Amino acid sequence: MTKYIIRRMIQAIPVLFGITIVVYGILLAAPGGPTAKFNQNPRITEEIKEKFKKAWGLDQPIPVQYCRWMGFCNPENVGLQVFIGETGWPNFLPTPISGATNGVLHGDFGFSISSGELVNTRIVRAALPTLILAGVALFVWLVVAILMGVYAAIHRYSLFDQAATVFAYVGFAMPTFWLGIMLIFLFSGPGLNILPAGGMTETRLSPPFGSDEYWVYFGQKPLEALSDVGWHLILPVFTLVVVNIAGDSRFVRASMLEALNQDYVRTAKAKGLPGRTVTFKHALRNAMLPVVTNIGLEIPFLFTGAIVTETIFSWPGIGRLTIAATNQFDYPVLMGVLLISATLVVLANLLADVAYAVIDPRIKF
Amino acid sequence: MTETISATPPLGAPPDRDTLLEVRDLRTYFRVLDGTVPAVDGVSFSVGRGKTIGIVGESGSGKSVTALTIMRLLDIPPAEIGAESEVWFDGREILRIPLNVMRKVRGKDMAMIFQEPLTSLNPVFTIGEQIAEQVRLHLKTSGREATDRSIEALRLVGIPSPESRIKQFPHEMSGGMRQRVMIAMALSCEPKLIIADEPTTALDVTIQAQILELLKAIQQRTGSALMLITHDLGVVAEMVDHVVVMYAGQVVEQGTVEEVLLDPRAPYTMGLLESIPSVEKRGGRLSVIKGVVPSPFNLPPACRFEPRCPYAWDLCHEEAPPLSRVGSADRLARCHLHTSAGDSRRGAALQQHIDAMRVGGTIRDAPA
Repeated sequence: MTKYIIRRMIQAIPVLFGITIVVYGILLAAPGGPTAKFNQNPRITEEIKEKFKKAWGLDQPIPVQYCRWMGFCNPENVGLQVFIGETGWPNFLPTPISGATNGVLHGDFGFSISSGELVNTRIVRAALPTLILAGVALFVWLVVAILMGVYAAIHRYSLFDQAATVFAYVGFAMPTFWLGIMLIFLFSGPGLNILPAGGMTETRLSPPFGSDEYWVYFGQKPLEALSDVGWHLILPVFTLVVVNIAGDSRFVRASMLEALNQDYVRTAKAKGLPGRTVTFKHALRNAMLPVVTNIGLEIPFLFTGAIVTETIFSWPGIGRLTIAATNQFDYPVLMGVLLISATLVVLANLLADVAYAVIDPRIKF
Repeated sequence: MTETISATPPLGAPPDRDTLLEVRDLRTYFRVLDGTVPAVDGVSFSVGRGKTIGIVGESGSGKSVTALTIMRLLDIPPAEIGAESEVWFDGREILRIPLNVMRKVRGKDMAMIFQEPLTSLNPVFTIGEQIAEQVRLHLKTSGREATDRSIEALRLVGIPSPESRIKQFPHEMSGGMRQRVMIAMALSCEPKLIIADEPTTALDVTIQAQILELLKAIQQRTGSALMLITHDLGVVAEMVDHVVVMYAGQVVEQGTVEEVLLDPRAPYTMGLLESIPSVEKRGGRLSVIKGVVPSPFNLPPACRFEPRCPYAWDLCHEEAPPLSRVGSADRLARCHLHTSAGDSRRGAALQQHIDAMRVGGTIRDAPA
């Protein structure tokens, strides 16, 4: 198993390397470019644009730009020396050997063009809200989808099952942006006005989430801070999980129905086991095998694909950072986010395969 | 989920103490779109403590449904159990007790071995866990004791080095080994009755013999009764004391193994015996029972075997034959040959069967 994981990790390297080229290529192919945001500004002359390009290294040939971004090249050197780091070793080697600190390979995604901060800083700041949203959503999603699917399978064709079927069709067909807006309209609009329409905290009560003042406030009133965030989580989490629950509850139901019809379930009943044990131990464990693969592949989209939900609910996470970076032609941030997303997908695939082997003893690597 | 049958007419008297299992007028129906289909239609038999009974018949004759009904493993609906049916087990009627009480009987006093050892074990749990789970549940033992008992049960069924085997998963074992595990599981709580539903059908012939030997040995050692469901008359001859022959959901003949195999009275049993290939009959064409078991949707109007029966006459098409006594109280056959209407035809029919079994001047010795 350890060997398998290591092998998969090594296999992931060329995949991720390919992804960097694709991401870089796609963004190059996109119309505009980092200077496009100046086009509407009459006070910015061609001269200023050239200076901007020079300052950000955009005047360099594209392979050089890519190599610098990746950390293959040392921007301080010229000629063939660009591949050599400060210590005389190749620049792409880890920092302790090469002395290089620039580029993705050394954990540096560069500076954000729009804010001047480190891309890393912006991503790390946005990661916590996304982790909170995605974590809660994941929990709700799994618990509800599995319970709903199992209950619908046990009571097949019951009223609950039929209601769940209708929910699944409606929920699966529901566009996230529309659902989010309708929820805001319903629960935060002038009529009911019982839930916050957006944001992560009540701005009148607490400092902005993530700031130093916030953590001071959190230390003083942890319960209030938590319940405040919890309150703000309700609508985004609901919006985020409806599609997943709709799809996966069907999947669990189908898988569970198949498991319940297996001979070993009859054996378990013949052993005199209580219905609960038969369902949740013998049938569910088997029914989860295909479900785990499916869920493993869906998880990364919770962390990266919350773009629409985070935007609708002004959730200060990675999704909103992506949209903001796109609007501001902030290429370094965008590439950082996309690369991290791709890494998450690769990791989730690996995780799903490993989880599959853990719960199904028939699978050996 | 299975429930107790709704209507509760007054129960008959309990059977005497020597009788472990008594099935009275068992009727199991399946509700389907087109109506109700009788899968088991008025089956009665009993099994003494420590005895072996064989339930014989072709596929679709209702043998397995009978067993599953006794174990209360059928989902109601779609299954339905006749209100007049009674199953007495170990002194109490078990079709009417609540399911949570029945669960204490299942696996403990009454255990079942299924036909398909390949699919009847749960693929994601070790065999040790699957046996120990049952032991913990019924005998209320600690985890360690349950494991010891599982090892003991595996040793009893002849699995080498059971201490390491308990950590294995079903897919790591052969079919024969898995059936041994099923048997070990069945006997782990020392049941009074083991129901074996075609335990050897899915296994190859050499393993079949081993498994049957094992069942026999275990039964002798533990003193449990055995209900052996099979379509193999050879197995019946080897294993059982008493035979019930079923056809299309009904009992067509029953008696001791010698009586039924050596002196069959129902044309269906005769046909089954005649169709056994044997070394003495080599060369000739193998005799078969023509046709197939009728679909329960479309049963013949009177005698259910009539369309396939070589001895049938007009009456068989008009009136269903009762199960009549053809000897001692337990010796029954369902055929008009054994009612007063068939008196004149009986001798010729029995002679025809004897001739069919006689090849080259010897009656084939029925193994006893």
